[in-house]
Amino acid sequence: MSRGFILWGVALLLPILHFLLHVGFGLGARAPDLLTVGLLVLARELRVGAAAGVGFVFGLLEDAFSILAFGANAVVLTVIGVLGARSRDLFMGDSLVFLASYLALGTWLRFALHGMLAGEEVRGELSRLLVVEAPLAAVYASGVGVAVLLLTGAWGRDPR
Amino acid sequence: MPPYDPEKISSQRRVDALVTLAFLGLSGLLLLLPPPVQHQISSGLRGSVLAPFIWTQEALREVRIRAGEVEVLQVQLDSVVATVSSQRTLEEENRRLRSLLELTERAGGGFVSASVVRPGTRGSESMFLLDVGVDDGVRVNHPVVTAEGLVGVVREVGRRTALAMDWTHPDFRVSAMTVDGEVYGIVEIRRGAFREEDRLLLNGVPYHTPLESGVGIVTSGRGAVYPRGILIGTVSELAESEAGWRRSYWVRPAVRTQSATHVLVLTHEEGPDVESLETLWLPGFVFEGLEIGETGIGELEAGELEDPNAPSGDESTDATGGESDP
Repeated sequence: MSRGFILWGVALLLPILHFLLHVGFGLGARAPDLLTVGLLVLARELRVGAAAGVGFVFGLLEDAFSILAFGANAVVLTVIGVLGARSRDLFMGDSLVFLASYLALGTWLRFALHGMLAGEEVRGELSRLLVVEAPLAAVYASGVGVAVLLLTGAWGRDPR
Repeated sequence: MPPYDPEKISSQRRVDALVTLAFLGLSGLLLLLPPPVQHQISSGLRGSVLAPFIWTQEALREVRIRAGEVEVLQVQLDSVVATVSSQRTLEEENRRLRSLLELTERAGGGFVSASVVRPGTRGSESMFLLDVGVDDGVRVNHPVVTAEGLVGVVREVGRRTALAMDWTHPDFRVSAMTVDGEVYGIVEIRRGAFREEDRLLLNGVPYHTPLESGVGIVTSGRGAVYPRGILIGTVSELAESEAGWRRSYWVRPAVRTQSATHVLVLTHEEGPDVESLETLWLPGFVFEGLEIGETGIGELEAGELEDPNAPSGDESTDATGGESDP
């Protein structure tokens, strides 16, 4: 099976796993943000417009459980999708360090943007979100994302 | 390898830019949609694409309960002592369900029992799903209670599900009064540094009517949402006082929202008198180690628990007799 096929499979399974862990198993913040990880992985494979579309759909699904800031996740994940797709033009890399940094930075940005867009009522104190919550969530999601992609063989060079 | 075609690449980039702008605009539009339309969209998604995940949580809860029962049976085979210790979680759940049932019986209808499902996604903090909806008589703004007191209020209703917010939600406000009806105010949420530190604040209490710690706070019945007499919590300490005209007090909530797994929704439809629920949280009645005394609700020591079915005395009934507004 080609790496591209596995990558697509894993990237589409990650959002399902995200909702299964967060909603199905009720783990909440104890589960990593695999929705963002899935989007970031998919965005590297898609064109900018398609990545924006995937981000919009993912965000809309996440927003289904939000009342105070309905639409915030859709905006943020659309932006993340666009930036993820654009990052392919700016950074070429398939090293482990690149993957971990890319996922961590993307997840941190997702939390930061959502915090800023959702307002103080939802996010609490902005500085704590940016310095404590978002970095921790980013490292957690990145670690789990890297592990899943490596274990499934979805990331790495195609055998020549 | 296809030949390099600058025209085609330029055209693709234009299409990409347009599609990207369209999705960004669409997502921005979601933020600006009127709340009823937002609710329709989110209800539709929860009832379709996301329904399997909600069912999963409900099914898992059922499995957990059943697994607990199987475990109990297994342990019973091993030894009686082990059985007694392993039944504690079931006893706890049974006790909660029984207290809800007793509340329903005392209310004489007008309540719908429901199970609570927590979504656990970002932005859904303080929200929970109920497995009842329009078909069960549930409507928007119906209060959600447990035997301990007020949990929150229904915000969106589908055919068989409803989305409710608990008292930790930033939008939570309720007009309140002391159990003796002497002091009125507004109870609202004050966010802590962490969600576990969220507290309730009784605001707008007149400066010259100080409240003692342990005094029970119930809904006052002002406004169209909460009927009079639903227990909110007890006064714990003075939060602040503004010289000469106003005090506010921290309120220890009657219900720990995360522990509420089964609740009742007040449907306003069949009960004998839904304008006032003071008969449900009468002085002298015991809930979960809380006793509503003459001056309010105080913690009971272990072993002091009274029979919930025992009739309340005249003295305690007088304690909620004050109906007059300030």
